[in-house]
Parts: sequence; C-alpha cells; structure tokens
Amino acid sequence: MGLYDMIVNSFKEVRKKVVKDSATNESVSSALAAELTLISTLLIAAIMLRHFNITLTVVVILGLGLLLTTNMPLIPKIKREQDDSLEKMVFYAILTLGILITVIYWGQTNV
Amino acid sequence: MNELIPLMVIIPIACGLLLNLLHKKDRSIRILAIFVAIVLPIIPLLSNFGLHYFGGHAPLIDNSTLLGTLPSFISNSALAIFHPAITYSYQSLQKLFIFILGIVAFFAIFTSFNETKKVSGPYMFLMFMGTAAVTALLLSDDIFHMYIFFEIAALCQVGIILVSSTKGNYETALKYMILGSIGGPLLLLGIGFLLGAVGSVNITDIVYAIKHNLVNPFSQTFLIGFGLIFFGWLYASGLPPFHTIKSSIYSKALPHSAALLQSFTVITFIALGIVIFRIFSYLPFMKMVILIFSLITMILGVTMAIIQTDFRRIIGFLAVGELGYIGIGIGIGTTLSLTAGIFQAVNEILTTALLFIGFGTVFYLTKTSDMKKLGGLIAQNPKVAIMVLLGGFAMAGVPPFNGFQSKLMIVQSSLNAGFPEIAIIAVLISIITFMTFMKVFHSVYLKPKPQDLQVVNESIPTSTIFSIVILLIICLIIGLFPQLVTDNIYPFVARLI
Repeated sequence: MGLYDMIVNSFKEVRKKVVKDSATNESVSSALAAELTLISTLLIAAIMLRHFNITLTVVVILGLGLLLTTNMPLIPKIKREQDDSLEKMVFYAILTLGILITVIYWGQTNV
Repeated sequence: MNELIPLMVIIPIACGLLLNLLHKKDRSIRILAIFVAIVLPIIPLLSNFGLHYFGGHAPLIDNSTLLGTLPSFISNSALAIFHPAITYSYQSLQKLFIFILGIVAFFAIFTSFNETKKVSGPYMFLMFMGTAAVTALLLSDDIFHMYIFFEIAALCQVGIILVSSTKGNYETALKYMILGSIGGPLLLLGIGFLLGAVGSVNITDIVYAIKHNLVNPFSQTFLIGFGLIFFGWLYASGLPPFHTIKSSIYSKALPHSAALLQSFTVITFIALGIVIFRIFSYLPFMKMVILIFSLITMILGVTMAIIQTDFRRIIGFLAVGELGYIGIGIGIGTTLSLTAGIFQAVNEILTTALLFIGFGTVFYLTKTSDMKKLGGLIAQNPKVAIMVLLGGFAMAGVPPFNGFQSKLMIVQSSLNAGFPEIAIIAVLISIITFMTFMKVFHSVYLKPKPQDLQVVNESIPTSTIFSIVILLIICLIIGLFPQLVTDNIYPFVARLI
C-alpha cells in the first residue's frame, strides 16, 4: 500500500468516527413511534394507582404528563442510558437493588 | 417409571461430557448429538408424573417403620414431613416445558451442524449442559439445588457466547459474567436467609412452614430474602435492569444458539417465578412488584427494539419484552392469568426460536445483521422469507397463531382481574411489536438490495429450512388447538393456587 492510499484510508477512518449517523425516514419514524409508545404506556400504567388512591392518581398523571412532555425527546436520552456500557449496567443494577430492598424491607417494617 | 425423572438431567450431562471427549471426531459427534437430541423430547413423554428422592431418602412420614422407632418429639413434629433428600417433582408443567425445550434443543443442534464449518465437541457440550441445567431447574423442588443449576446454565450461556466467534462476543460474555457476579451471589444470599429462617431449602417444606405458622413470614429475614431472591430472578430472566445485557447476549450468539439461549431464559424465568409465587404469595405487595417490573420490561423492550438497526438485537429486545407478558400473568395471580402467562412462555420459546433461526438465514447468507447494509433478500429465497413473516405474526399475536391465543388470554385475565390498564398496554405493545417486526422485514427483505451487499453463501441449508417449517407448523397447531398446551398447564396452576 502506497503512502497516498494510507493517507486516504486514514481520512476515511477519521470520517467514520466524526460523521454521525444520518437521520433517515425510517430512523425518525421509529424514534417517533418509540416516543409515543413510551409516553402513552407510562401514562396508562400510572392510572393503575387508582387502586390505591384516586387523588394520588390524578396528581401523578398530571405530574408525569408534564415531566414527560417537557423533557421530549425522551428516546435519545433513554437510548444513551440503555447502551452496552458496563458502568451504566452496573449502576442501574445497584440502583434497582437499593430501591427494591428499601421499598420491601423499610416499607413493610415502618409504614 | 419414575427412574426416568433424573435421566432427563443425567442423559444430556453424560452426552455433553462424552461429546467433549470426542472433540475432532466429527462423525461420532454428529451421530451421538443427533441421537441424544432426538431422545431428549421423548423421555418426558414416556415418564410418569411423580417425585424422585435422590439417595432414596423419602420424608419420614412416608416410612412408617422408621417413623415408629423414632421418639415422639420427632415423629410428631414437622421434621417427619420435611424432605431430607434433594427432590425432583415431575408434573404436567415440567412435562410440557421439558418437551418444548427438547424440541428447541434438537433444532438448535441440528441447524448448527450445517451452519458452522467445524463440528466442535466443547460447543456441543455447552449446549447439552445448558439444556440439562435448565431441565434440573424445572424439576427441582430444592431452591439451593436450583441455584447450582442456575449458575451452571449461566456459565454455559457465557461459554456459548465465547465460542460464537462474532464481533464483540468476548466483551459481552465478560460483561454478563461481571453482572452475574452481582445477581448470582445475591440470589444465593436470599436463599441463605430462607435457610436460616426455616432450616430447609426444600420449597415444599418452606411453604409448609409458612402456612402452618412455624416461622414468622413477615420477619425481616423473610423480607430481605424475598428482595434478594427477586433481584436474582431479575438477573436470571433478563428483566430490567438486566434487559440490555440479555438482548446483547442474544445478538452476539450465533442464531441457532440464540434460539436455545432464549429458551434457557424463559424456562429459568418460569421456574424461579413459580418458586417466588409459591413461597412469597402471602406478601401483599409481591404481585404488585412483579407487575411493575413486567410492565417496565414490556415498555423498555419494545421501545428499545424499535430504534435498533441490527436485526438480531431487535429480536433480542423483543424477546426480552415478551417476557413482560409472562410476568403479567404471574403478577395478576389468578388461575386464568397464570395459565395465560405460562402458555405465553411456551409460545415465546417457540416463536422466538423460529425467528432467531429464520432471521439467522439472513446472517448465514450475508454475514451481517446490520439492516442498513441489507435489502432485497426476498429474491434469494421467497419461501423462507414468507415463513419468517408468519413467525413474526405469531410473535406479535396475529391469529391464527399461538401468540394470539396466549395474548388474548392475558388480556381477558387482566380485564377479569380489574386491570383494564394492563389489557390496554398489552394490546398496545403487541401492535408496536408487529410494527417493529414489519420494519425489520421491510429492511431485510423488501427494500431495494444495496449494490455493495455481498451474498457469501448462495443457498440456505435444508436442515435450517426444515427447522423453520416444523417450528412454524407447531406454532400454527398450538394456535388452532390451544387446549393441547393449556390442558397441561391448568392442573398445575390449580394446585398452585
């Protein structure tokens, strides 16, 4: 391989790293569908709180609706958090364990 | 013929060890592996229902001669009822799942011979050992014994990823092991808390102790035990926060081994889920916790699937998301919902195996799973493309396939239990699953073929097409006659509740 080819190849490598994936019709519609699915399912799931308290349900739904709509687009943020990074996976595993044990142990014995 | 019960575990282990020793003797490996793979689904059909006590140590109450010789403070106590031996319980549910696992294992092994260039003894060992481990998980009535086989199954999964020779497989396997070093020991710790409280690791004994007030089930020991076992269950099943690594595992495995790996996951999910239900169903919040995690699994699984560009990763996320349906069945906790959830588990094993093997043909032909680089492959083999399309219909719950029946039952059970919200979410997620699948199908098969797409292999192996056809036929038969499956599930669920 000549020097010229090596330079050209190195430019191609750099370009691959710098240029972000272009948004296609497919990727945008997918992200939009995911966004709508996420918001609608979370809001519907929140309605289940009516089994505990109606007032709490209204407050949570309004709060959740406000939170979700003001933070749009949500999917890029979620995608960033749900990547294959080991640090993030371990972080969420520990966080879940903490919440689970706190709610089950402390919630049952003190509430 | 209760002697056949332990053989369901012993035969695949012995076969795996032998195949490992026969490495490089390709012909012998092929013959032995195919023979045992055919035998595996047959054994559960021949075996009678019942219990098997390892070492022959039945509970004292079953041995009146010995019981009569013991002092009354033993013969009149719970010790007479407790199980001294590791016990295998073989019932209609175990029969169903071991049969289905045997079928998927057969197709995974059968397909692997034509899709991989070399026949590997260690690779076959891992597949058989994993199959034996999840079979033992299903059969065992001993929670510590379950943990041992759960760890063996996890190690086999890591091994299968390591030998898959796909890009990034080592890194993913290592991450799975690191996360396993969090989930596994915590599960064991939870089991330790139960052992400390009850003095037995036999699940029937633990349930007996709780129901007869021999222990305080609301004590801190039990609560912590529940929390830790539940967390271990999340890891074992790939529920959030472990959904990312689980889908990654599927995408790094070769398609036929991904078909087997997902069946390991679903069966582990069911086996441990039933244990949690049996032991902790007295806790008022147990079902709610399962429901919350199941809903999160469904929502995250499908939303993450839509935005991926690698079709193996998409199926991986969809497979994880489908676990949410099973969890909902367990979480609602009625007879109908549990039957529906377990029925969904059977369907998921079959449809996901079909999709992994079906889309695996694309990977076999092109050596890529990046949808940006794919297109126009319907011209390559239209019949396989149509069968894969029908497999996607089965997963999304389109009639007359099996997925429709189980999802309909889940929706009905949610409505009956007073949770219309769950029914709406279940329908919504099914629609999005359908949409995601159609997106993949369009990208891979229907859009114009990219000019730089190279087809490495010209034709799909006959064994792969055979596997797809048979799995599709099974999905259709179960869809048309769901009672073939539900009749096996219902008696088990009736006893459970």
